[in-house]
Amino acid sequence: MNTDNQYLLSLKGITKHFKSLTAVNGVNLDVSSGEKLVIIGPSGSGKSTLLRAINFLEVIDDGHIIFEGKEAGYIRKNGRLHLDKPQVISALRSEIGMVFQHFHLFPHMTVLENVMEGPLTVQKKSREEALEIALAMLAKVGLIDKKGVYPATLSGGQKQRVAIARAIAMKPKLMLFDEPTSALDPELVGEVFETIRSLAVDGMTMIIVTHHMGFARELADRVMFMESGNFLAEGTPQEFFAEGMNNERIRTFLNRIL
Amino acid sequence: MAFFSKFISRVAITALLFLCTTLSSQSVQATATDYDQLFRKAGDLQSSGDLNAALEILRQIPTPAKGEEGDDFVRSRMQMGRIHFSLDEQDKALIVTKEVLALYPDNSEAKNFLASINKQKRPAYMNFFKDAVSFLPSLMKGALMTLLLVLCTMLISPLGGLFIALGRISPFKPLSSVCWFIIWFFRGTPLLLQLFFIYYGLPSLGITMPPMTAAVIGLGINYSAYLGEIIRGAIQSIDHGQMEAAKAIGMTYRQAMRRVIIPQTYKRLMPPVGNEFIALIKDTALVSTIAMVELMRSADQLFNTYFNITALVLAALIYLLLTTIFTFIFEKIEYRAGIYEHR
Ligand SMILES: Nc1ncnc2c1ncn2[C@@H]1O[C@H](COP(=O)(O)OP(=O)(O)OP(=O)(O)O)[C@@H](O)[C@H]1O
Ligand SMILES: [Mg+2]
Repeated sequence: MNTDNQYLLSLKGITKHFKSLTAVNGVNLDVSSGEKLVIIGPSGSGKSTLLRAINFLEVIDDGHIIFEGKEAGYIRKNGRLHLDKPQVISALRSEIGMVFQHFHLFPHMTVLENVMEGPLTVQKKSREEALEIALAMLAKVGLIDKKGVYPATLSGGQKQRVAIARAIAMKPKLMLFDEPTSALDPELVGEVFETIRSLAVDGMTMIIVTHHMGFARELADRVMFMESGNFLAEGTPQEFFAEGMNNERIRTFLNRIL
Repeated sequence: MAFFSKFISRVAITALLFLCTTLSSQSVQATATDYDQLFRKAGDLQSSGDLNAALEILRQIPTPAKGEEGDDFVRSRMQMGRIHFSLDEQDKALIVTKEVLALYPDNSEAKNFLASINKQKRPAYMNFFKDAVSFLPSLMKGALMTLLLVLCTMLISPLGGLFIALGRISPFKPLSSVCWFIIWFFRGTPLLLQLFFIYYGLPSLGITMPPMTAAVIGLGINYSAYLGEIIRGAIQSIDHGQMEAAKAIGMTYRQAMRRVIIPQTYKRLMPPVGNEFIALIKDTALVSTIAMVELMRSADQLFNTYFNITALVLAALIYLLLTTIFTFIFEKIEYRAGIYEHR
């Protein structure tokens, strides 16, 4: 496969079926380094499946994932895709951070241990090094004073900020956010967006699935509208929100959530 | 049928009553001179040391009928009482004395004797303690063996169970099938039979081992199979998001299991595993059948030698003590294991 190096991530013809249902249907996407991409779209349109496919949590049925100019994660045998060796996948995942709607913090570890876990176990860093990284990440998300407590004692917003710290402790080249604020009370949404914004300022490349249009408008370089497993429209926030109103489907969607 | 058996028992009771009345009327006919002879004979036997024969002779002197003179009766019973007393048979001494008091409540000799028996008589719990002290050494030896078995199995079975559980949920089909088979076989057959097979059956295949080894292997595999299913359930009850989050930061399946999933099962595992281990303490009694001298076997040996129930009561108390101690330990561990859930 011919690849070009100008994009951090290129998706070509990504397809994923669940039995007879096609969740992602031939998606093409190029993401440049430092770009902030927001994906919106109705429920069940395949946004989560696409993000999970980028992190190899879903095994795709067809297509190419090109990360840093190299085709990544799959071996093609007899025209069928097979996930690469576990070590290869783990190495790829450690370069791509992911934040989930329901945080999924490790409840048996303190906040500090949660953030240290990646550097320690995956990157085999020394305890001192891991500690230094974890403290820096907790400082970044503003939770250094919570380092000794267990996740059960945190608010939803704090949990999500720890989850972000845990992900960025791996120094990933790409961050994926799947509805990071959907499980939060409205008054806690702001602090999480604030944290994501500060990552954006640092130049992190990110793909964010969200229903918060204000946030999309403010942060995104590009907004993608997904429906039935593929992108229906895309553009800069200005273009998107202006022209989207001309598209019947997008207008209905925006009217419903705004 | 019911009618018939009722009839039979009626007849039997009537026959018995008839026999009793004839017998007693016969002895009533004995004369005073006979009694002197009996006393003399009893005295001779007593001085020659044959106390039981003396008791039998004295027993022949009957209860006086109404209005009849009863000095011989009283004399015989009091003498029996003294013999019983000298034999340390306080209960029997008490019975004959009460026989006298039933007819002559004011007999001062009987009253005094009764008082001295009561003073001498050891309370039941004193007997218990006396027996307990003599039984405890060998029971404690047995209990130590039981404890050793329990501890060995408690070390082996969680590890075995973990491997069986991980094998069961492995996507590698042959491994998962083997583990399924192990669980199916060892949960589906009696532990007693497995122990017999290991200790008595394997030698015919040329594999012999001491009872302790056979017991530890049998209990170890059996409990691994049970714990395997419990551990598998606990692993699968952990939120799937945990595995995904672990993978998302780059962990391999193995790292995710070891660092994230398995540690979270500890708290959930403690109640059912505690249950299994309590059952284990009692199940060790089964190895007494393969020549292991543990607590149950020791108690059984004592019971069969002395025919004294105290040995069994003590064994029960020691089992209770063991289960109580372990229950406390498991509760403590469960609390510790779940401390991160406290708010
Ligand atoms: N593991 C699965 N097995 C079967 N079907 C699935 C699975 N995961 C997702 N789907 C289906 O695939 C489709 C796309 O799901 P996906 O979660 O990607 O949607 P989404 O755009 O993220 O929706 P939402 O906004 O509700 O999160 C849905 O119809 C969903 O039911
Ligand atoms: Mg989703």
